Amino acid sequence: MIPPIEYIRPESLNELLTLLNKHNGDAKIFAGGTDIVTGLQQGLSRFKKIKVLLDINHIPDLMRIKKENGNIVIGAACTLSDIINDSMIKEYFPLLISAASGIGSVQIRNRATMTGNFVNNAPCADIVPPLLVYDARITLQSLETSREISLENFLRRPYQTRIKTDEVVTTIKLPIIPTNYKGDFYKLGRRRSVSISRITLAVLMQIQDSIIKDIKIASGAVTPIGTRFEELEKYACGKKVSDEFYKELSLKMGKHVLELTGLRWSSAYKLPVVQQMFYQVLKRIHNSIQ
Amino acid sequence: MNFSTIGKPTIRQDGYAKVTGKAKFADDINYPNQLFGLMVRLPVTHAKIINIDYSEIENHPSIKGILTAKDIPGEKKIGIIKKDQPIFCEKKIVTPGDVVGMLIGESEQELIALREKIKYEYEKLPVLSDSSKALRPDAPLIHPELESNLIIHHPLRKGDIEKGFSECDFIIEQTYTTPHIEHAAIEPETVIAIPLEKKNSVKLIGSIQNPHSARNVVSSVLGLPLNRVRIQQAELGGSFGGKDDTMNILSARAALAALKTGRPVKIRYSREDSILESYKRHPYKMKYKVGYNKDGKIKAMKIDILADGGAYASMSPFVTWRTVVQATGPYEIENVWTDVRAVYTNNPYTGAMRGFGSPQPIFAQESIMDEIAIKLNKRPDEIRRINGLRIGSITSTGQQLENHDVNLIKVLDTATEKSDFADKWKINRQNSKTINNYQNKEFSAKQEKFLFLEKSDFIPSENLLRKGIGLALSFRGCSLGAEGIDAAAAYLSIQADGSAYLLSGLAENGQGLKTTFSIIAGEILGIAVENIYYLEHDTGIIADSGPTVASRSTLMGGGAVKVAAEIIRDRLVELLRSEWDLQKEEKIIFKGEEVFIGNKPERKITFKQLGNLAYNKGINLSTIGWYPGPIVGWDEEIGQGSAYFTYVYGCQVAEVTVNTGTGEVYVDRIVAVHDPGKVINLMGAQGQVYGGVTQGAGYGLWEEITTENGSIRELNFDQYLIPTSKDVGEIIPLFVEGDEQFGPWGAKSLGEPTLELTAAAIANAVRNAVGIRHFSLPLNLEEIVLKRKLSPLDLKRGSAL
Repeated sequence: MIPPIEYIRPESLNELLTLLNKHNGDAKIFAGGTDIVTGLQQGLSRFKKIKVLLDINHIPDLMRIKKENGNIVIGAACTLSDIINDSMIKEYFPLLISAASGIGSVQIRNRATMTGNFVNNAPCADIVPPLLVYDARITLQSLETSREISLENFLRRPYQTRIKTDEVVTTIKLPIIPTNYKGDFYKLGRRRSVSISRITLAVLMQIQDSIIKDIKIASGAVTPIGTRFEELEKYACGKKVSDEFYKELSLKMGKHVLELTGLRWSSAYKLPVVQQMFYQVLKRIHNSIQ
Repeated sequence: MNFSTIGKPTIRQDGYAKVTGKAKFADDINYPNQLFGLMVRLPVTHAKIINIDYSEIENHPSIKGILTAKDIPGEKKIGIIKKDQPIFCEKKIVTPGDVVGMLIGESEQELIALREKIKYEYEKLPVLSDSSKALRPDAPLIHPELESNLIIHHPLRKGDIEKGFSECDFIIEQTYTTPHIEHAAIEPETVIAIPLEKKNSVKLIGSIQNPHSARNVVSSVLGLPLNRVRIQQAELGGSFGGKDDTMNILSARAALAALKTGRPVKIRYSREDSILESYKRHPYKMKYKVGYNKDGKIKAMKIDILADGGAYASMSPFVTWRTVVQATGPYEIENVWTDVRAVYTNNPYTGAMRGFGSPQPIFAQESIMDEIAIKLNKRPDEIRRINGLRIGSITSTGQQLENHDVNLIKVLDTATEKSDFADKWKINRQNSKTINNYQNKEFSAKQEKFLFLEKSDFIPSENLLRKGIGLALSFRGCSLGAEGIDAAAAYLSIQADGSAYLLSGLAENGQGLKTTFSIIAGEILGIAVENIYYLEHDTGIIADSGPTVASRSTLMGGGAVKVAAEIIRDRLVELLRSEWDLQKEEKIIFKGEEVFIGNKPERKITFKQLGNLAYNKGINLSTIGWYPGPIVGWDEEIGQGSAYFTYVYGCQVAEVTVNTGTGEVYVDRIVAVHDPGKVINLMGAQGQVYGGVTQGAGYGLWEEITTENGSIRELNFDQYLIPTSKDVGEIIPLFVEGDEQFGPWGAKSLGEPTLELTAAAIANAVRNAVGIRHFSLPLNLEEIVLKRKLSPLDLKRGSAL
């Protein structure tokens, strides 16, 4: 049962920042509420300290998706449905669309925000791997400060980020990439909807004359949090593509996952399957380029 | 026969209110001045209670009362067969759902906070969670006063088992297991008890499956005569057999609290409370030994089944009785030796759930039938045609099947033809061969021992998805059979304007019974379903008709409605004969809101006018229809007798796609062919199939309640996964109607047959796709890839992975 909590609905960014400053430490940003409401209901410890909820759904500045200096900038209050229905995102960041479409149900996607998905930073947050391969940068604002950091730096540990108690994420910036990048997002769940991911993979690849010019690889749910595999990317760049190489890369991927995650009860299943499906993803991208 | 409404699609009466959110469920009903009840439980599984100290809260102004076993004036323990389940535990708790007391107050929020201040003193007892250890001499006794953990043993002996095995060409032995299953009705348990002005009487409204059963329990716990307890049923948000014992107990607690405080008391469960305390479907361990000949004829079957009854006996003796009757499947076998036992453990108790002891053995026996077919190089449908029950066949209980259409082979033929089974099965099997080696040798073995693939383990993309087709076949005894008294009542009353009231003693459980019964009455009287008002179920105004279980509503309750409608019709016919001065042989027809003479249709009167005429003539236009079930017989010692008075037959074909890389199984299509006798409401019947198949697919692929030292891990739907509409493909319901002497126009059972077959059909389809037999439900990701279940406990147990 949810304990009594104060709920405030600011109408402007400035009002929000003032309130955050006033309730520093006691306030939590409330966007879709799909993590907070269920978490409060369950009495989760990370929601125990909340005394005030600040609803950001009526702040126009946070609700826009716009093109700006070679970037797409997404407001923090944009829902997953907003993302799915946006034509610019469809054109430039298709992996984001497939990740967002697979989260929860229509009802959940109509409420839940993309920002909430990575601020909550669950190991299985579906939106994180595609944002990582798209090199997302986020803007954090407080009453006095404003800073921009990469998403990779922002995410710390499961359910922990580098956000300060008086800060709010206001926008996510995605640099538009050349059209010769091809990619794929893969999700494995136990069912086909309303399903918590067992494995997620996001891969972007640029192949020229059978040589990997660039590759970006990220995973979720098999690693403690959504993670980029930079060592693996470096290893792959400049290599000639072949079925044999994709297999080799997939085996290396498995080793990295084990290093990052350690042995879990689920390793007997997840580790072989992540190698298998990473290989399938590479093949699928390869075939889409040919 | 030319029906007006029977067999055609009719929209259910409560459908609009339910899909628009207007229907009033139990928790939508509130009374002024009402209090809430909150359960007190211990944080352990099995323990002796030394002391529970409420002193810190008992005088708190927010506490309006605390109920414990001491407050019970009547029976302190209840149970349909064995009275082993306490309303409030007094001396010990035997499972984590057990309740030791109940706080009563105006605010649930405050009660939750105050509950934290209760002090518990208890002594932990050893936990028995493995049912296979329950009968060992060193096993902890769950109920020491019973001196054994054995709840029931049903033996069945037919023919000479040893001789049977000695005479056959081959013998196959396999063991199958199934998990605990939650009913997962969308609405959790709620009941509200209102003290009545007449001293010592109480009214309850709740999400109650069987109002009369609940009344029996409440009256015994309160020590009051039955007529002092009146129970009304609110709109029910699903039950699937799950709102019986739990709701009876909650009703008793709420009634005690209402009488103690003199105020209305509501108990409403969260999903966590519901999954924690409610009973489950029994997990079974099933050993099958089958002897058969080269020609495919099965000569002998020896079956040893162990059911985990959990903490209380509940329905275990009845559930396992259906199992012993049906355990061989729908096959005629000369020599059968079956033992079915249910035992106590500290696990959640198990009881009635849609299927009631049939989904488990069907999974085992239909898997084995396919294995026999494959060994003999026959198709699954061929082996079933060789052994299947026909008219005149003798079942394993020694009952000769007669006096009804034994449509087993007909449903099999229909299902296999409609699904193109024979061809698809052969093609898939050939295609599965390449995968066969890979799965057996490389993949599954390697994954258990090694975490890393070798290059040869990577699957060419075009081989990732494999198709499979599988079938399952069953017969099912209708209604209660030799397990109970079988009779039902219906009340019908025609008003002076020709409109009607209808109510039966069987309660709506969401299956659409109100609509089905209205169709039956309307068909006899020639009036539209819309002109019949189905009354709210209330134990004060309708006779006890036994529980709404065993897919018996249409058969028994429908039978009673038909009797009632015929009584009224005959009275109206008699009136008309005298009014119109007719001869006996002139037939009077009731159709389309009119009543007319068969060969002189111009001689007519509207039903409305007839109602008015009858009213003014002082004709009795109200009646109770009574439908008693025929006699059945049973010899407990050898498990022989006419177990059920009639049977229904069903066959489902599942088509699946298996992802051999991940172990995902997708149900592409289910062809479900059932013989329910006669279809009353086509739309209702199709709805039963859609729901049953989906629930059966959940049993096959996802659903599982697991316990750690008796404690449930899956307490909500984030962990306990039921299929969504995206997880099951096309479902094609087909009905084969057979002649039957019982039930309205021969209508029998459909609800449970639709569920019991699906998991087995899916398992056989997976076998067809990947060439591997799985012995343990559910066939989840890990089961398909590793042939075992993984759980968070595995690492703690110290195993390598």
